[in-house]
Amino acid sequence: MSLPKMKTTEPLTMPDPPTGSRVSRLAWNFRHHPKRELWFAWWVMVIFYQLYGVLFFFVTRVQPPPSPAWDTPTVVRWFDDHDFGILAGFGVVFLVAGMCAPMNALLAYSMRRMSVSRLFAYSYLIIYSLAAVPGMLVMAIAMIVAALRPHRDPELIHWLYDFAFLSFSGTMGVFMIGSLVWMVAILLDKNRVFPKWFGYLSLCNALTEVVVAPAWIFHRGAFAWNGAIAWWINMVVFVLYTGVFIVLLRKMIQREDFRAGPLPALPDKGEAAHSDSVEAVR
Amino acid sequence: MRRTDGELILFWTLPVLAIIWVSAFFLFPGFVHPMSPTMSAEEVAGFYRDETARIRYSMILFNWFGVGLIPVVILLAMQIRRMAHRTPILCYSLIACAGGPPTLFLIANMFWLLGSFRPERAPELTQLLNDLAWLTFTILVPYLIAQSLLLALAIYWDRQDRPVFKPWVAHFNLLIAAALAPAAFTALAYTGPIAWDGLLSFWVKNIAIAVWIIVMGIVLGQTIRQQRAQDRVIA
Repeated sequence: MSLPKMKTTEPLTMPDPPTGSRVSRLAWNFRHHPKRELWFAWWVMVIFYQLYGVLFFFVTRVQPPPSPAWDTPTVVRWFDDHDFGILAGFGVVFLVAGMCAPMNALLAYSMRRMSVSRLFAYSYLIIYSLAAVPGMLVMAIAMIVAALRPHRDPELIHWLYDFAFLSFSGTMGVFMIGSLVWMVAILLDKNRVFPKWFGYLSLCNALTEVVVAPAWIFHRGAFAWNGAIAWWINMVVFVLYTGVFIVLLRKMIQREDFRAGPLPALPDKGEAAHSDSVEAVR
Repeated sequence: MRRTDGELILFWTLPVLAIIWVSAFFLFPGFVHPMSPTMSAEEVAGFYRDETARIRYSMILFNWFGVGLIPVVILLAMQIRRMAHRTPILCYSLIACAGGPPTLFLIANMFWLLGSFRPERAPELTQLLNDLAWLTFTILVPYLIAQSLLLALAIYWDRQDRPVFKPWVAHFNLLIAAALAPAAFTALAYTGPIAWDGLLSFWVKNIAIAVWIIVMGIVLGQTIRQQRAQDRVIA
């Protein structure tokens, strides 16, 4: 009675969704689709990364980052220019930051589906759940505290500026170790959840957290927090990595059969169109 | 077989913790009449000088017992595991939320304690610590919002003859999520309902958290009791 009522052994057959309007199909899929939990988490991930880009690049305009070499009056002027964007934009960040939870749950689920120990899924889940605090929310707090009182002692505003950008760029280990946990799981996995090359891309993502360490030391140049290596190359790798795993997770969900062995390959287009109502969600 | 030994011990820590949290809330002199963001640096520094002892003792209490919320969220995550879902995604999601609010609260807690550690510090610095504390405390809502919404979704998807939680629990959690949302925007205003001492950002938010803890505590207690009765019948 108290056993979880997971129908994991039941074969994955599902009735086709009603052939009504787009909205009614969406509602049906939301309630009855056997993979609703996975698709929910995947869509949260897609929407979160879109929001993340818009909020950090266009609303708060804290990315691409300004220079760590600026003098105090320039920093204070930068805050004056960005005041409302920071206060409102980071408000939205605080509102939606909890979207990280289903995202990290989906990534943990991918490891649970592999032939590896549960150790990987739980380690990744905890590492990435805590990562949002030093890696994003502390930055947001430092930013809104600086923008809250533009007439504060300029030296204190400058300190908050350093605090914000260094906590954001300089939080390294959680992302590095997290990516490595995922990488090891992918390389060991015999269930073919992800292609092995993606394991090596995870390694590239982990390495970006290595080369960002000098941002704690240099005020200018390629290794500064706005530099060619510590920011531009890292951002390119991060965007590529994120884009790739969003696509690969989508494939994983499409292939998921809720069994224990290797994930089946994706059926051919013709067959897929018949039974896969996933298309109706989009 | 699910192992339940000790579950009730963790559950009954909740009312004890609630009493400590409420006591600490009233002990902290900045909460009953919440400090205003319009206070000048000198006023803030004066407050820390005059009320040093009560700030320290209340915040030490919060530092000791703030993380006590985590076992409650994990108890909820374990109930989600019993629901008629096909994957553990929502259970994992709740576990992913559990650490967030206490971590943010501990950061705020440290800033309050730092402010009271050397109240003779330059007023501008005390004001900075006070701003950091109050803003962190007020915006610690993201994971609370997420866990309410995720719990509501989990209950909504729990379609079985005897669902783990009744549907009203889902609606209640949606209401709590809505009540917590305005606090995210607290830095936009010094005065009014959004300000950190305002109706929405302070009173509605903190009362919502308290009501959520009480209601979900009672719901959890009933569910665990029913479950244990069922287990005994089977055994």
